[in-house]
Amino acid sequence: MLELADVHAYYGNIRALRGLSLSVERGEIVTLIGANGAGKTTTLRTILGLIRPRRGHVSFNGQRLDTLGTDRIVRLGIAQSPEGRHIFPRMTVLENLELGAFARPDRDGIAPDLERVFSLFPRLRERIAQKGGTLSGGEQQMLAISRALMARPGLLLLDEPSMGLSPILVDTIFRIIEDINRQGTTILLVEQNARMALRVAHRGYVIQTGRVVMHDTSAALWRSDLVRKTYLGEK
Amino acid sequence: MKRLGPAALVVALLAYPFVDRAVGLHTVHAVSDGMIYMLLALGLNIVVGYAGLLDLGYAAFFAIGAYAMGLLNSPVLGSPLYGHAWSFWVCIWIAAAVSALLGLVIGAPTLRVRGDYLAIITLGFGEIIPVAIRNLGDVTIEIGGWRPIERLNLTGGENGVNPVGRPYLPGVPFETDPMPWYFLILVIGALSIWAMSRLRDSRLGRAWMAIREDETAADCTGVNPISTKLLAFALGASFSGFAGSVYAAKLQAITPGAFEFQVSIMLLCMVVLGGAGSLRGVVLGAMLITIFDRVILSQTTFLVRAIGRATGVSALTAVDLTLWRWFFFGLGLVLVMLLRPQGLAGRRVRPVAGGDADDETAVPEPSAPPRLAAVPEWLRTRAAGVDASGAVLEVRGVTKSFGGVVALNQVDLAVPRGAIIGLIGPNGAGKTTFFNVVTGLVRPDAGHITFGGGSLVGLRPNAIVARGIARTFQSIRLFAHMSVLDNVLVGEHCRLESSVAGAVVRPPSVVAEERRARERARSLLAFVGLADKEEDLARNLPYGDQRRLEIARALATEPRLLLLDEPTAGMNPRETEALTELIGLLRRELTLSILLIEHDMEVVMGISDRISVLDYGTRIAEGTPAEIQRHPRVIEAYLGTGYEAEAAGRSGPR
Repeated sequence: MLELADVHAYYGNIRALRGLSLSVERGEIVTLIGANGAGKTTTLRTILGLIRPRRGHVSFNGQRLDTLGTDRIVRLGIAQSPEGRHIFPRMTVLENLELGAFARPDRDGIAPDLERVFSLFPRLRERIAQKGGTLSGGEQQMLAISRALMARPGLLLLDEPSMGLSPILVDTIFRIIEDINRQGTTILLVEQNARMALRVAHRGYVIQTGRVVMHDTSAALWRSDLVRKTYLGEK
Repeated sequence: MKRLGPAALVVALLAYPFVDRAVGLHTVHAVSDGMIYMLLALGLNIVVGYAGLLDLGYAAFFAIGAYAMGLLNSPVLGSPLYGHAWSFWVCIWIAAAVSALLGLVIGAPTLRVRGDYLAIITLGFGEIIPVAIRNLGDVTIEIGGWRPIERLNLTGGENGVNPVGRPYLPGVPFETDPMPWYFLILVIGALSIWAMSRLRDSRLGRAWMAIREDETAADCTGVNPISTKLLAFALGASFSGFAGSVYAAKLQAITPGAFEFQVSIMLLCMVVLGGAGSLRGVVLGAMLITIFDRVILSQTTFLVRAIGRATGVSALTAVDLTLWRWFFFGLGLVLVMLLRPQGLAGRRVRPVAGGDADDETAVPEPSAPPRLAAVPEWLRTRAAGVDASGAVLEVRGVTKSFGGVVALNQVDLAVPRGAIIGLIGPNGAGKTTFFNVVTGLVRPDAGHITFGGGSLVGLRPNAIVARGIARTFQSIRLFAHMSVLDNVLVGEHCRLESSVAGAVVRPPSVVAEERRARERARSLLAFVGLADKEEDLARNLPYGDQRRLEIARALATEPRLLLLDEPTAGMNPRETEALTELIGLLRRELTLSILLIEHDMEVVMGISDRISVLDYGTRIAEGTPAEIQRHPRVIEAYLGTGYEAEAAGRSGPR
């Protein structure tokens, strides 16, 4: 469904991705594991066309993405919940969610999806008329994920969805991730909480300095020494 | 080679007027005028470039400087102020002082506003001054037939002040020769640039840039935004006072028309074109615009007319390109913003690392766990000097609501000296609001907050930092376009003492203080594992490094209580472990008290002495980690049942 082949991307002259290749098949949850600065967020930004690769290509359902604008890419059915939330602070919770559905062709599907989002995050229903910027950090995180869900994407990119959430909500978020995956959404998940990420993902890629150093099924990664020591925090 | 550049520049500047005379160019007058505008642009750069306060009415300060000179140094006008014809050399200082004073006056009402609102206020001020000058040329006050003041001419009205006295130096022909003017302005300009570059690299300069980057974070790092902004206005204005008074004396006459809105805009163009915040850029921008305005437009007009006459095209013979100057300025500005938004000489947002070559060093290391150095010795010494026992922070009955939402409801909390207190709770429970109340960002509706015996309620954040409370932010708030080292140095701001004069003159005490501050900042960076990154821009650091830099900045304020808002969010297990170790080290070695908001239960349960739990703004539990883990309400509202499973055994993937 999604394919990155030998992607090189730069910030200015700093190489962030150096020949990164990965693929995501329809219906999968795939997780990217790596340290801060390894290139995980850059990978997501490259998929969305926010950064242009200098070499290599990105394709989605056979269509090249790396020549398209971000708005076109989103219309192809890719949505993201970005790291650091980036909600619209001066718009209400409802308006934020409605904007998530901005590029959707099926207007009828919006109301049920709104209902679905509110049942996933009851706290958002309580705050429906509040401005996004007045929400607490964790609530903004819920809003960012919900906004991405409102696009009803074929492929959902989640960047650190558990950041800033209470333990009970971390559990909930990962349950939700599994739920929406079961309902047919393919998910590419970037997460520092590798333990939770590997628990829900089918496959994972370990990224170091802009390259894939390892990829395998979650179970195999879970058993590997590199992952255990570096990313699961075991001694 | 590097030495040669400045030396060549000095020789060129000194030789220029003689060459000009020898060749017979007669451009010294125009160049001197251009240099006055350059000085103005440099003054504006302090306000706009350093402190980030958009000023659309800067020409008003130019007018004030010019009229201060005109009123004090004109032999003709009739008011009591006139006619004494004070010496130019005295008036120029008075003009600068008056401008600085008015800088404070206009700065004061704008302190609480930013961005668009500030710009509009300065715009209004820029309009008021020329209008006032026009109308104060004929003042009559009539009180029921009695006229205490009749047709008083304060400012010369539309006709302006004419003539204005020239400077007098024995044997120097200011009357007949443009050359002394050139050198006078050159000296003033050189001294101004010298002073500005020293201000930029001082404690005050760093405070200006911190305000520009993030005013709230600056306030919470111990920078007083009010006095810092006022100083930007006052110092920025004082340079225009110099420029205005020289302008008045050089032109021999001033009229209100010389200080219109367009002048403010032109000055702003110079700053933006060259690169706001860069001295070299502003000089370049001012040069380009002046040369274009004074030389290229008029010469091109001549050329086009000549072509028109030669070819017999009558339309061309009547062309006057100088009427199009604003068109060309606008076009130039649009092009610069599109092609090089940081200005011609502005600092690039990202550093350039040696072309396109495969540069392995430019890439962040893979998850190397940060190497922590020992706690800096000076911090240890400073901490040992503080004598305190019992509770450091005592919060009682604090209540805060926003509209109808009660964010904090009768919350009590005490942090004893040297303790680590965890603050947990569901998202939206009010934890960050609690931090904001303690640090002075939000004023509580009710309740008491005391720290080391004194009340904190009503104090500004920077005053609370000075008392010894530092914090980090949940969504990292660094000074993004400042270097890593400068970020930490801003933290030391409230512990440094150099004044404005000290920053410019740099007596040995200031030099020593600055050197010590840098040593301390470097030791803090080594402590958090950022020793090799001090020159990087803060925004270019990866996430985990940014978190550690924020902690270093907070430690630089020499706190007795540190508030950490989700310090390990977004960190991988190794980084989290290193940070946990660092927090423990701070408590052990500095007896620092720490209040910690954190969702990573391994961290909170591992290092907290006691934990308080908030839910919907109310404290629902308080106790040791072991008590909290078993507390049914905490499990229900916060931990969830999954936590127990996770703590018991680490189940693998499905």
